[in-house]
Amino acid sequence: MSKQISFTFNGVAVQCEEGQSIAAAVINSGTLALRKTRFGEEPRSVFCGIGICFDCVVVVDGVANQRSCLIEAKADMDIESSS
Amino acid sequence: MIIVIGAGPAGLAAAEAASRNGSEVALIDSASRLGGQYWRHRSTVTGYRSNRADLLFAKVKSAASITYISEATVWSIERDGELIRVNYLQGGSESSLTSEKLILATGAYDRSLPFPGWDQPGSMTPGAAQALLKGHGVLAGQSVVVAGTGPFLLPVATGLAQAGAKVVGLYEAHSPMRWLLSPQALLLNVSKFAELIYYAGLIRQYRIAPRFGRVVSRFDKGQVTITSVNSSFALKRKRAQTFEVDVVAVGWGFSPDLTLGGIVGCRERVDVDGTTIFKVDGDQLSSQKNVWIAGEATGIGGADLSLLEGEIAGLSASSQKISSHLRFARFRKQVFADALKRSYPVKDGWRSWAEKSTTICRCEEVSLGEIEESVAELGAEDSRTAKLFTRAGMGLCQGRICSRNVSEIVAGLTKCSVTDEERIASSNRPIAAPIALGLLGDGKK
Repeated sequence: MSKQISFTFNGVAVQCEEGQSIAAAVINSGTLALRKTRFGEEPRSVFCGIGICFDCVVVVDGVANQRSCLIEAKADMDIESSS
Repeated sequence: MIIVIGAGPAGLAAAEAASRNGSEVALIDSASRLGGQYWRHRSTVTGYRSNRADLLFAKVKSAASITYISEATVWSIERDGELIRVNYLQGGSESSLTSEKLILATGAYDRSLPFPGWDQPGSMTPGAAQALLKGHGVLAGQSVVVAGTGPFLLPVATGLAQAGAKVVGLYEAHSPMRWLLSPQALLLNVSKFAELIYYAGLIRQYRIAPRFGRVVSRFDKGQVTITSVNSSFALKRKRAQTFEVDVVAVGWGFSPDLTLGGIVGCRERVDVDGTTIFKVDGDQLSSQKNVWIAGEATGIGGADLSLLEGEIAGLSASSQKISSHLRFARFRKQVFADALKRSYPVKDGWRSWAEKSTTICRCEEVSLGEIEESVAELGAEDSRTAKLFTRAGMGLCQGRICSRNVSEIVAGLTKCSVTDEERIASSNRPIAAPIALGLLGDGKK
Protein backbone atom coordinates (compact mmCIF):
# COMPACT_ATOMS: atom_id res chain seq x y z
CA MET A 1 0.00 0.00 0.00
CA SER A 2 1.44 3.31 -1.01
CA LYS A 3 1.67 6.43 1.11
CA GLN A 4 -1.56 8.28 1.93
CA ILE A 5 -1.71 12.03 1.42
CA SER A 6 -4.37 14.65 1.87
CA PHE A 7 -5.36 17.81 -0.03
CA THR A 8 -8.43 20.04 -0.15
CA PHE A 9 -11.03 20.20 -2.92
CA ASN A 10 -13.32 23.24 -2.58
CA GLY A 11 -12.29 23.42 1.07
CA VAL A 12 -13.08 19.78 1.88
CA ALA A 13 -10.24 17.39 2.79
CA VAL A 14 -9.66 14.52 0.31
CA GLN A 15 -7.46 11.53 1.17
CA CYS A 16 -5.70 9.63 -1.60
CA GLU A 17 -2.71 7.49 -2.44
CA GLU A 18 0.46 9.20 -3.56
CA GLY A 19 0.68 9.13 -7.36
CA GLN A 20 -3.04 9.38 -8.06
CA SER A 21 -4.28 12.24 -10.23
CA ILE A 22 -6.38 14.99 -8.66
CA ALA A 23 -9.39 13.83 -10.72
CA ALA A 24 -8.98 10.18 -9.72
CA ALA A 25 -8.67 11.14 -6.04
CA VAL A 26 -11.75 13.38 -6.06
CA ILE A 27 -13.84 10.81 -7.97
CA ASN A 28 -12.69 8.07 -5.58
CA SER A 29 -13.81 10.24 -2.65
CA GLY A 30 -17.36 10.08 -4.05
CA THR A 31 -17.59 13.43 -5.87
CA LEU A 32 -18.04 13.12 -9.62
CA ALA A 33 -18.51 16.76 -10.68
CA LEU A 34 -15.21 18.66 -10.77
CA ARG A 35 -16.41 22.07 -11.95
CA LYS A 36 -19.30 24.04 -13.42
CA THR A 37 -19.24 25.50 -16.92
CA ARG A 38 -18.77 29.25 -17.50
CA PHE A 39 -22.04 30.00 -19.29
CA GLY A 40 -24.59 27.32 -18.46
CA GLU A 41 -23.14 26.48 -15.01
CA GLU A 42 -23.53 22.83 -15.92
CA PRO A 43 -21.55 20.29 -13.87
CA ARG A 44 -18.64 18.58 -15.65
CA SER A 45 -16.28 15.77 -14.76
CA VAL A 46 -13.56 13.69 -16.38
CA PHE A 47 -14.46 12.99 -20.02
CA CYS A 48 -11.41 11.83 -22.02
CA GLY A 49 -9.25 11.06 -18.99
CA ILE A 50 -5.99 11.61 -20.88
CA GLY A 51 -5.55 15.37 -21.15
CA ILE A 52 -7.19 15.96 -24.54
CA CYS A 53 -10.62 17.45 -23.76
CA PHE A 54 -9.90 19.95 -20.95
CA ASP A 55 -13.30 19.21 -19.38
CA CYS A 56 -11.80 18.38 -15.98
CA VAL A 57 -9.90 21.65 -15.54
CA VAL A 58 -9.61 23.00 -11.99
CA VAL A 59 -7.66 25.69 -10.16
CA VAL A 60 -4.53 24.20 -8.57
CA ASP A 61 -2.96 26.39 -5.87
CA GLY A 62 -4.33 29.47 -7.61
CA VAL A 63 -3.34 28.46 -11.15
CA ALA A 64 -6.43 28.12 -13.37
CA ASN A 65 -7.21 25.70 -16.23
CA GLN A 66 -5.12 22.80 -14.93
CA ARG A 67 -6.14 19.36 -16.21
CA SER A 68 -6.98 17.40 -13.09
CA CYS A 69 -6.78 14.07 -14.95
CA LEU A 70 -3.07 14.65 -15.61
CA ILE A 71 -1.82 16.42 -12.49
CA GLU A 72 -0.72 14.24 -9.62
CA ALA A 73 -2.27 15.09 -6.27
CA LYS A 74 0.35 16.39 -3.82
CA ALA A 75 0.01 16.76 -0.06
CA ASP A 76 -1.67 20.02 1.03
CA MET A 77 -2.61 21.13 -2.48
CA ASP A 78 -5.48 23.60 -2.57
CA ILE A 79 -7.85 22.66 -5.41
CA GLU A 80 -10.85 24.78 -6.35
CA SER A 81 -13.46 24.21 -9.05
CA SER A 82 -13.14 27.82 -10.17
CA SER A 83 -11.20 30.91 -9.14
CA MET B 1 20.80 11.84 -32.18
CA ILE B 2 17.23 10.75 -32.89
CA ILE B 3 14.38 12.32 -30.90
CA VAL B 4 11.39 10.04 -30.40
CA ILE B 5 8.19 11.70 -29.13
CA GLY B 6 5.75 9.34 -27.44
CA ALA B 7 6.50 6.28 -25.29
CA GLY B 8 3.54 4.10 -26.24
CA PRO B 9 3.97 0.91 -28.31
CA ALA B 10 5.16 2.74 -31.49
CA GLY B 11 7.59 5.09 -29.74
CA LEU B 12 9.06 2.35 -27.54
CA ALA B 13 9.56 0.06 -30.52
CA ALA B 14 11.16 2.92 -32.48
CA ALA B 15 13.56 3.82 -29.66
CA GLU B 16 14.52 0.19 -29.05
CA ALA B 17 15.09 -0.53 -32.76
CA ALA B 18 17.17 2.61 -33.28
CA SER B 19 19.33 1.82 -30.26
CA ARG B 20 20.33 -1.60 -31.66
CA ASN B 21 23.26 -0.11 -33.59
CA GLY B 22 24.15 2.24 -30.76
CA SER B 23 22.37 5.31 -32.16
CA GLU B 24 21.74 7.97 -29.53
CA VAL B 25 18.01 8.27 -28.81
CA ALA B 26 16.09 10.78 -26.68
CA LEU B 27 12.65 9.40 -25.84
CA ILE B 28 10.28 12.18 -24.72
CA ASP B 29 6.90 11.47 -23.16
CA SER B 30 4.32 13.46 -21.21
CA ALA B 31 3.48 10.70 -18.74
CA SER B 32 5.46 9.62 -15.68
CA ARG B 33 5.71 5.99 -16.81
CA LEU B 34 6.53 4.19 -20.06
CA GLY B 35 3.74 2.54 -22.03
CA GLY B 36 1.52 5.33 -23.36
CA GLN B 37 -2.25 4.96 -23.20
CA TYR B 38 -2.24 1.30 -24.28
CA TRP B 39 0.14 0.02 -21.61
CA ARG B 40 -0.96 2.45 -18.94
CA HIS B 41 -0.19 1.02 -15.53
CA ARG B 42 0.58 1.79 -11.88
CA SER B 43 3.14 -0.89 -11.00
CA THR B 44 2.73 -3.63 -13.61
CA VAL B 45 1.04 -3.81 -17.00
CA THR B 46 -1.96 -6.15 -17.04
CA GLY B 47 -4.17 -7.50 -19.82
CA TYR B 48 -3.76 -9.46 -23.02
CA ARG B 49 -0.10 -10.28 -23.80
CA SER B 50 1.20 -7.70 -21.33
CA ASN B 51 4.54 -9.55 -21.23
CA ARG B 52 5.38 -7.77 -24.50
CA ALA B 53 5.32 -4.48 -22.60
CA ASP B 54 7.61 -5.75 -19.82
CA LEU B 55 10.17 -6.93 -22.39
CA LEU B 56 10.15 -3.64 -24.26
CA PHE B 57 10.30 -1.56 -21.05
CA ALA B 58 13.32 -3.58 -19.88
CA LYS B 59 15.13 -3.16 -23.22
CA VAL B 60 14.46 0.59 -23.36
CA LYS B 61 15.50 1.13 -19.74
CA SER B 62 18.70 -0.89 -20.05
CA ALA B 63 19.86 0.52 -23.42
CA ALA B 64 22.82 2.81 -22.72
CA SER B 65 22.13 4.96 -25.79
CA ILE B 66 18.50 5.79 -24.88
CA THR B 67 17.81 8.83 -22.69
CA TYR B 68 14.24 8.77 -21.36
CA ILE B 69 12.73 12.19 -20.61
CA SER B 70 9.43 11.70 -18.76
CA GLU B 71 6.69 14.16 -17.73
CA ALA B 72 7.68 16.45 -20.59
CA THR B 73 4.92 17.99 -22.70
CA VAL B 74 6.07 19.05 -26.16
CA TRP B 75 4.33 22.32 -27.04
CA SER B 76 6.09 23.23 -30.28
CA ILE B 77 8.68 22.08 -32.79
CA GLU B 78 10.78 24.42 -34.92
CA ARG B 79 12.89 23.67 -37.99
CA ASP B 80 16.07 25.55 -38.64
CA GLY B 81 17.62 24.18 -41.82
CA GLU B 82 18.77 20.65 -41.03
CA LEU B 83 18.09 21.06 -37.33
CA ILE B 84 14.85 20.23 -35.58
CA ARG B 85 14.26 21.88 -32.20
CA VAL B 86 11.69 20.28 -29.88
CA ASN B 87 10.39 22.65 -27.18
CA TYR B 88 8.86 21.09 -24.11
CA LEU B 89 7.53 21.93 -20.67
CA GLN B 90 8.81 19.90 -17.75
CA GLY B 91 8.27 20.58 -14.07
CA GLY B 92 7.01 24.10 -14.68
CA SER B 93 9.84 25.29 -16.90
CA GLU B 94 10.56 25.29 -20.59
CA SER B 95 13.44 23.39 -22.18
CA SER B 96 14.41 22.29 -25.65
CA LEU B 97 16.31 19.56 -27.43
CA THR B 98 17.88 19.79 -30.88
CA SER B 99 18.50 16.98 -33.32
CA GLU B 100 18.60 16.20 -37.02
CA LYS B 101 16.14 13.33 -36.89
CA LEU B 102 12.69 13.04 -35.38
CA ILE B 103 10.28 10.13 -34.94
CA LEU B 104 6.71 11.05 -33.99
CA ALA B 105 4.64 8.42 -32.20
CA THR B 106 1.91 10.59 -30.71
CA GLY B 107 -0.89 8.02 -30.67
CA ALA B 108 -4.60 8.61 -30.60
CA TYR B 109 -7.53 9.37 -28.32
CA ASP B 110 -11.13 8.15 -28.24
CA ARG B 111 -13.48 9.55 -30.83
CA SER B 112 -16.74 10.81 -29.32
CA LEU B 113 -20.17 11.50 -30.79
CA PRO B 114 -22.72 13.81 -29.17
CA PHE B 115 -25.98 12.52 -27.69
CA PRO B 116 -28.27 14.16 -25.12
CA GLY B 117 -26.40 14.09 -21.79
CA TRP B 118 -22.95 13.17 -23.13
CA ASP B 119 -21.61 16.23 -21.29
CA GLN B 120 -22.97 15.23 -17.89
CA PRO B 121 -20.66 13.91 -15.16
CA GLY B 122 -20.65 10.12 -15.40
CA SER B 123 -20.58 10.12 -19.20
CA MET B 124 -17.04 9.54 -20.37
CA THR B 125 -14.97 7.79 -23.01
CA PRO B 126 -13.97 4.13 -22.55
CA GLY B 127 -10.39 5.44 -22.52
CA ALA B 128 -11.19 7.65 -19.53
CA ALA B 129 -12.70 4.75 -17.56
CA GLN B 130 -9.63 2.71 -18.50
CA ALA B 131 -7.18 5.46 -17.55
CA LEU B 132 -8.81 6.02 -14.14
CA LEU B 133 -8.65 2.31 -13.42
CA LYS B 134 -5.28 1.28 -14.84
CA GLY B 135 -3.43 4.50 -14.13
CA HIS B 136 -4.91 5.39 -10.75
CA GLY B 137 -6.69 2.32 -9.40
CA VAL B 138 -10.04 4.13 -9.29
CA LEU B 139 -13.39 2.84 -10.55
CA ALA B 140 -15.34 5.66 -12.21
CA GLY B 141 -18.55 4.15 -10.80
CA GLN B 142 -19.94 0.96 -9.27
CA SER B 143 -22.24 0.21 -12.21
CA VAL B 144 -21.13 0.86 -15.78
CA VAL B 145 -22.46 0.66 -19.32
CA VAL B 146 -19.78 0.28 -22.02
CA ALA B 147 -20.95 1.19 -25.51
CA GLY B 148 -20.00 2.50 -28.94
CA THR B 149 -18.16 0.50 -31.53
CA GLY B 150 -14.93 -1.42 -32.00
CA PRO B 151 -12.84 -4.07 -30.28
CA PHE B 152 -11.52 -1.64 -27.63
CA LEU B 153 -14.86 -1.97 -25.81
CA LEU B 154 -13.88 -5.55 -24.84
CA PRO B 155 -10.75 -4.83 -22.73
CA VAL B 156 -12.52 -1.86 -21.12
CA ALA B 157 -15.64 -3.82 -20.15
CA THR B 158 -13.72 -6.85 -18.93
CA GLY B 159 -11.12 -4.70 -17.12
CA LEU B 160 -13.84 -2.84 -15.22
CA ALA B 161 -15.55 -6.14 -14.32
CA GLN B 162 -12.26 -7.64 -13.10
CA ALA B 163 -11.77 -4.58 -10.86
CA GLY B 164 -15.17 -5.14 -9.25
CA ALA B 165 -17.53 -2.90 -11.23
CA LYS B 166 -20.92 -4.20 -12.27
CA VAL B 167 -20.89 -4.04 -16.08
CA VAL B 168 -24.62 -3.65 -16.61
CA GLY B 169 -24.37 -3.69 -20.38
CA LEU B 170 -21.93 -3.93 -23.28
CA TYR B 171 -23.49 -2.47 -26.42
CA GLU B 172 -21.82 -2.68 -29.82
CA ALA B 173 -23.58 -0.58 -32.46
CA HIS B 174 -22.63 -2.88 -35.34
CA SER B 175 -23.37 -6.51 -36.11
CA PRO B 176 -20.39 -8.90 -35.71
CA MET B 177 -21.41 -10.29 -39.11
CA ARG B 178 -19.62 -7.31 -40.69
CA TRP B 179 -16.39 -9.27 -40.21
CA LEU B 180 -17.58 -11.53 -43.05
CA LEU B 181 -16.78 -8.58 -45.34
CA SER B 182 -13.06 -9.16 -44.66
CA PRO B 183 -12.25 -12.89 -44.77
CA GLN B 184 -8.68 -12.22 -45.99
CA ALA B 185 -7.90 -10.15 -42.90
CA LEU B 186 -8.91 -13.00 -40.61
CA LEU B 187 -6.92 -15.56 -42.61
CA LEU B 188 -3.81 -13.39 -42.46
CA ASN B 189 -4.20 -12.82 -38.70
CA VAL B 190 -5.26 -16.11 -37.15
CA SER B 191 -3.58 -15.06 -33.89
CA LYS B 192 -6.46 -12.58 -33.44
CA PHE B 193 -8.76 -15.53 -32.71
CA ALA B 194 -6.72 -16.27 -29.60
CA GLU B 195 -7.32 -12.70 -28.44
CA LEU B 196 -11.05 -13.02 -29.11
CA ILE B 197 -11.19 -16.29 -27.16
CA TYR B 198 -9.31 -14.61 -24.28
CA TYR B 199 -11.96 -11.85 -24.04
CA ALA B 200 -14.87 -14.24 -24.65
CA GLY B 201 -13.68 -16.20 -21.61
CA LEU B 202 -13.64 -13.09 -19.44
CA ILE B 203 -17.06 -11.98 -20.72
CA ARG B 204 -18.51 -15.35 -19.72
CA GLN B 205 -16.71 -15.36 -16.37
CA TYR B 206 -18.12 -11.98 -15.36
CA ARG B 207 -21.54 -12.68 -16.89
CA ILE B 208 -21.44 -9.66 -19.20
CA ALA B 209 -24.11 -9.88 -21.89
CA PRO B 210 -22.88 -8.23 -25.10
CA ARG B 211 -25.69 -6.87 -27.27
CA PHE B 212 -25.36 -5.71 -30.87
CA GLY B 213 -27.10 -3.00 -32.89
CA ARG B 214 -27.71 -0.78 -29.85
CA VAL B 215 -26.40 2.61 -28.74
CA VAL B 216 -26.57 4.88 -25.71
CA SER B 217 -29.05 7.48 -26.97
CA ARG B 218 -29.47 9.46 -23.74
CA PHE B 219 -27.91 9.89 -20.31
CA ASP B 220 -29.69 11.99 -17.73
CA LYS B 221 -28.64 12.15 -14.07
CA GLY B 222 -27.88 8.47 -13.76
CA GLN B 223 -30.59 7.25 -16.16
CA VAL B 224 -29.30 5.74 -19.38
CA THR B 225 -31.43 5.04 -22.45
CA ILE B 226 -30.33 2.28 -24.81
CA THR B 227 -31.90 2.34 -28.28
CA SER B 228 -31.66 -0.06 -31.22
CA VAL B 229 -30.18 1.37 -34.41
CA ASN B 230 -30.26 0.28 -38.03
CA SER B 231 -27.06 -0.28 -40.01
CA SER B 232 -26.85 3.49 -40.74
CA PHE B 233 -27.09 4.32 -37.00
CA ALA B 234 -30.60 5.80 -37.27
CA LEU B 235 -32.46 5.25 -33.99
CA LYS B 236 -35.44 2.87 -33.86
CA ARG B 237 -37.12 4.92 -31.15
CA LYS B 238 -39.79 2.35 -30.38
CA ARG B 239 -37.08 -0.05 -29.28
CA ALA B 240 -35.59 1.72 -26.28
CA GLN B 241 -35.03 0.83 -22.64
CA THR B 242 -34.07 3.07 -19.73
CA PHE B 243 -32.36 2.06 -16.49
CA GLU B 244 -30.08 3.41 -13.77
CA VAL B 245 -26.30 3.35 -14.02
CA ASP B 246 -23.40 5.35 -12.52
CA VAL B 247 -21.23 5.62 -15.60
CA VAL B 248 -21.66 5.35 -19.35
CA ALA B 249 -18.36 4.81 -21.20
CA VAL B 250 -19.03 5.45 -24.89
CA GLY B 251 -16.42 5.46 -27.67
CA TRP B 252 -16.48 5.44 -31.46
CA GLY B 253 -13.02 4.32 -32.41
CA PHE B 254 -10.07 6.70 -32.27
CA SER B 255 -8.84 10.04 -33.53
CA PRO B 256 -5.08 10.26 -34.11
CA ASP B 257 -3.21 13.07 -32.40
CA LEU B 258 -1.87 14.99 -35.41
CA THR B 259 -0.80 18.17 -33.68
CA LEU B 260 2.99 17.81 -33.66
CA GLY B 261 3.32 16.42 -37.19
CA GLY B 262 1.06 19.23 -38.38
CA ILE B 263 3.35 21.80 -36.75
CA VAL B 264 6.37 20.28 -38.53
CA GLY B 265 4.49 20.46 -41.83
CA CYS B 266 4.12 16.73 -42.50
CA ARG B 267 1.61 16.14 -45.26
CA GLU B 268 -1.73 14.66 -44.22
CA ARG B 269 -4.29 12.62 -46.10
CA VAL B 270 -7.81 11.41 -45.41
CA ASP B 271 -8.18 7.70 -44.67
CA VAL B 272 -11.03 5.57 -46.09
CA ASP B 273 -13.07 6.15 -42.94
CA GLY B 274 -12.74 9.95 -43.05
CA THR B 275 -10.01 10.11 -40.41
CA THR B 276 -7.18 12.55 -41.13
CA ILE B 277 -3.81 10.77 -40.91
CA PHE B 278 -0.23 11.36 -42.05
CA LYS B 279 1.09 10.26 -45.40
CA VAL B 280 4.21 8.11 -44.94
CA ASP B 281 6.31 5.95 -47.26
CA GLY B 282 7.28 2.29 -46.79
CA ASP B 283 9.96 3.29 -44.25
CA GLN B 284 7.43 5.37 -42.24
CA LEU B 285 9.15 8.55 -43.51
CA SER B 286 6.80 11.55 -43.71
CA SER B 287 6.76 14.23 -46.41
CA GLN B 288 9.29 16.18 -44.28
CA LYS B 289 12.96 15.30 -44.51
CA ASN B 290 14.22 13.27 -41.54
CA VAL B 291 10.80 13.13 -39.84
CA TRP B 292 9.37 9.63 -39.44
CA ILE B 293 5.87 8.90 -38.10
CA ALA B 294 4.71 5.60 -36.60
CA GLY B 295 1.61 4.25 -34.94
CA GLU B 296 -1.96 5.55 -34.88
CA ALA B 297 -1.11 8.91 -36.49
CA THR B 298 -0.49 7.09 -39.79
CA GLY B 299 -3.81 5.22 -39.61
CA ILE B 300 -5.66 3.63 -36.70
CA GLY B 301 -4.59 0.01 -36.46
CA GLY B 302 -3.96 -0.93 -32.83
CA ALA B 303 -0.87 -1.85 -30.83
CA ASP B 304 0.30 -4.77 -33.00
CA LEU B 305 0.59 -2.53 -36.06
CA SER B 306 2.06 0.34 -34.03
CA LEU B 307 4.87 -1.87 -32.71
CA LEU B 308 5.85 -2.91 -36.26
CA GLU B 309 5.62 0.63 -37.64
CA GLY B 310 7.70 1.90 -34.74
CA GLU B 311 10.35 -0.76 -35.32
CA ILE B 312 10.54 0.09 -39.03
CA ALA B 313 10.75 3.84 -38.30
CA GLY B 314 13.50 3.26 -35.73
CA LEU B 315 15.52 1.07 -38.09
CA SER B 316 15.12 3.51 -40.96
CA ALA B 317 16.07 6.56 -38.87
CA SER B 318 19.22 4.79 -37.64
CA SER B 319 20.13 3.58 -41.17
CA GLN B 320 19.70 -0.12 -40.38
CA LYS B 321 18.37 -2.75 -42.73
CA ILE B 322 14.64 -3.42 -42.70
CA SER B 323 13.94 -7.09 -43.45
CA SER B 324 11.24 -8.16 -45.88
CA HIS B 325 9.88 -10.35 -43.08
CA LEU B 326 9.23 -7.22 -40.99
CA ARG B 327 7.60 -5.44 -43.92
CA PHE B 328 5.30 -8.43 -44.53
CA ALA B 329 4.34 -8.54 -40.84
CA ARG B 330 3.32 -4.87 -41.10
CA PHE B 331 1.36 -5.61 -44.29
CA ARG B 332 -0.64 -8.33 -42.50
CA LYS B 333 -1.53 -5.95 -39.68
CA GLN B 334 -2.45 -3.23 -42.18
CA VAL B 335 -4.90 -5.63 -43.82
CA PHE B 336 -6.37 -6.24 -40.36
CA ALA B 337 -6.55 -2.50 -39.70
CA ASP B 338 -8.46 -2.04 -42.97
CA ALA B 339 -10.87 -4.76 -41.87
CA LEU B 340 -11.40 -2.94 -38.57
CA LYS B 341 -12.41 0.17 -40.50
CA ARG B 342 -14.78 -1.91 -42.63
CA SER B 343 -16.28 -3.72 -39.62
CA TYR B 344 -16.71 -0.72 -37.29
CA PRO B 345 -17.45 2.38 -39.41
CA VAL B 346 -19.13 5.39 -37.82
CA LYS B 347 -22.28 5.87 -39.87
CA ASP B 348 -23.96 9.23 -40.58
CA GLY B 349 -27.10 8.35 -38.64
CA TRP B 350 -25.41 9.61 -35.44
CA ARG B 351 -26.24 13.15 -36.56
CA SER B 352 -29.87 12.51 -35.64
CA TRP B 353 -29.11 11.55 -32.02
CA ALA B 354 -28.55 15.09 -30.70
CA GLU B 355 -31.46 17.40 -29.88
CA LYS B 356 -31.49 21.18 -30.39
CA SER B 357 -30.35 21.72 -26.80
CA THR B 358 -27.59 19.06 -26.94
CA THR B 359 -24.09 20.44 -26.48
CA ILE B 360 -21.88 19.84 -29.52
CA CYS B 361 -18.80 21.87 -28.54
CA ARG B 362 -18.17 21.03 -24.89
CA CYS B 363 -15.58 23.77 -24.26
CA GLU B 364 -17.58 26.71 -25.60
CA GLU B 365 -20.97 25.19 -24.75
CA VAL B 366 -22.36 25.44 -28.28
CA SER B 367 -25.58 23.55 -28.86
CA LEU B 368 -26.83 21.82 -32.00
CA GLY B 369 -29.54 24.51 -32.22
CA GLU B 370 -26.91 27.27 -32.40
CA ILE B 371 -25.02 25.46 -35.16
CA GLU B 372 -28.27 24.91 -37.09
CA GLU B 373 -29.05 28.61 -36.69
CA SER B 374 -25.62 29.62 -38.01
CA VAL B 375 -26.39 27.67 -41.16
CA ALA B 376 -30.09 28.48 -41.59
CA GLU B 377 -30.18 32.11 -40.40
CA LEU B 378 -26.63 33.37 -40.81
CA GLY B 379 -25.80 31.53 -44.01
CA ALA B 380 -22.76 29.52 -42.90
CA GLU B 381 -21.92 27.13 -45.72
CA ASP B 382 -18.96 25.32 -44.19
CA SER B 383 -17.75 24.36 -40.73
CA ARG B 384 -15.15 27.17 -40.66
CA THR B 385 -17.84 29.82 -41.03
CA ALA B 386 -20.14 28.04 -38.57
CA LYS B 387 -17.22 27.96 -36.13
CA LEU B 388 -16.63 31.71 -36.48
CA PHE B 389 -20.32 32.43 -35.85
CA THR B 390 -20.75 30.06 -32.90
CA ARG B 391 -17.21 29.55 -31.44
CA ALA B 392 -17.66 25.77 -31.80
CA GLY B 393 -14.16 24.26 -31.74
CA MET B 394 -12.48 27.41 -30.41
CA GLY B 395 -12.18 26.43 -26.76
CA LEU B 396 -9.38 24.97 -24.66
CA CYS B 397 -9.28 21.62 -26.44
CA GLN B 398 -8.81 23.43 -29.78
CA GLY B 399 -11.53 21.38 -31.44
CA ARG B 400 -9.93 18.01 -30.73
CA ILE B 401 -13.25 16.62 -29.49
CA CYS B 402 -15.81 18.40 -31.69
CA SER B 403 -14.26 19.72 -34.91
CA ARG B 404 -14.85 16.58 -36.95
CA ASN B 405 -18.40 16.32 -35.61
CA VAL B 406 -19.10 20.00 -36.38
CA SER B 407 -17.80 19.57 -39.95
CA GLU B 408 -20.03 16.56 -40.46
CA ILE B 409 -23.09 18.22 -38.88
CA VAL B 410 -22.68 21.33 -41.07
CA ALA B 411 -22.17 19.14 -44.15
CA GLY B 412 -25.39 17.32 -43.29
CA LEU B 413 -27.29 20.61 -42.89
CA THR B 414 -25.96 22.05 -46.15
CA LYS B 415 -26.50 18.73 -47.94
CA CYS B 416 -22.91 18.29 -49.05
CA SER B 417 -20.02 16.15 -47.89
CA VAL B 418 -16.96 17.25 -45.94
CA THR B 419 -14.05 17.85 -48.31
CA ASP B 420 -10.61 16.39 -47.63
CA GLU B 421 -9.21 19.94 -47.45
CA GLU B 422 -11.72 20.77 -44.71
CA ARG B 423 -10.90 17.60 -42.76
CA ILE B 424 -7.18 18.32 -42.94
CA ALA B 425 -7.54 22.03 -42.10
CA SER B 426 -9.60 21.27 -39.00
CA SER B 427 -6.89 18.88 -37.74
CA ASN B 428 -4.09 21.45 -37.66
CA ARG B 429 -3.25 23.46 -34.55
CA PRO B 430 -0.36 25.93 -34.25
CA ILE B 431 0.41 25.18 -30.60
CA ALA B 432 0.28 21.70 -29.11
CA ALA B 433 -0.33 22.47 -25.44
CA PRO B 434 -1.29 25.64 -23.55
CA ILE B 435 1.74 27.59 -22.36
CA ALA B 436 1.86 30.73 -20.22
CA LEU B 437 3.40 33.76 -21.91
CA GLY B 438 5.54 34.33 -18.83
CA LEU B 439 7.12 30.88 -19.17
CA LEU B 440 7.87 31.56 -22.81
CA GLY B 441 9.73 34.69 -21.79
CA ASP B 442 11.65 33.05 -18.93
CA GLY B 443 12.48 29.78 -20.66
CA LYS B 444 16.05 28.87 -21.47
CA LYS B 445 16.86 28.42 -25.09
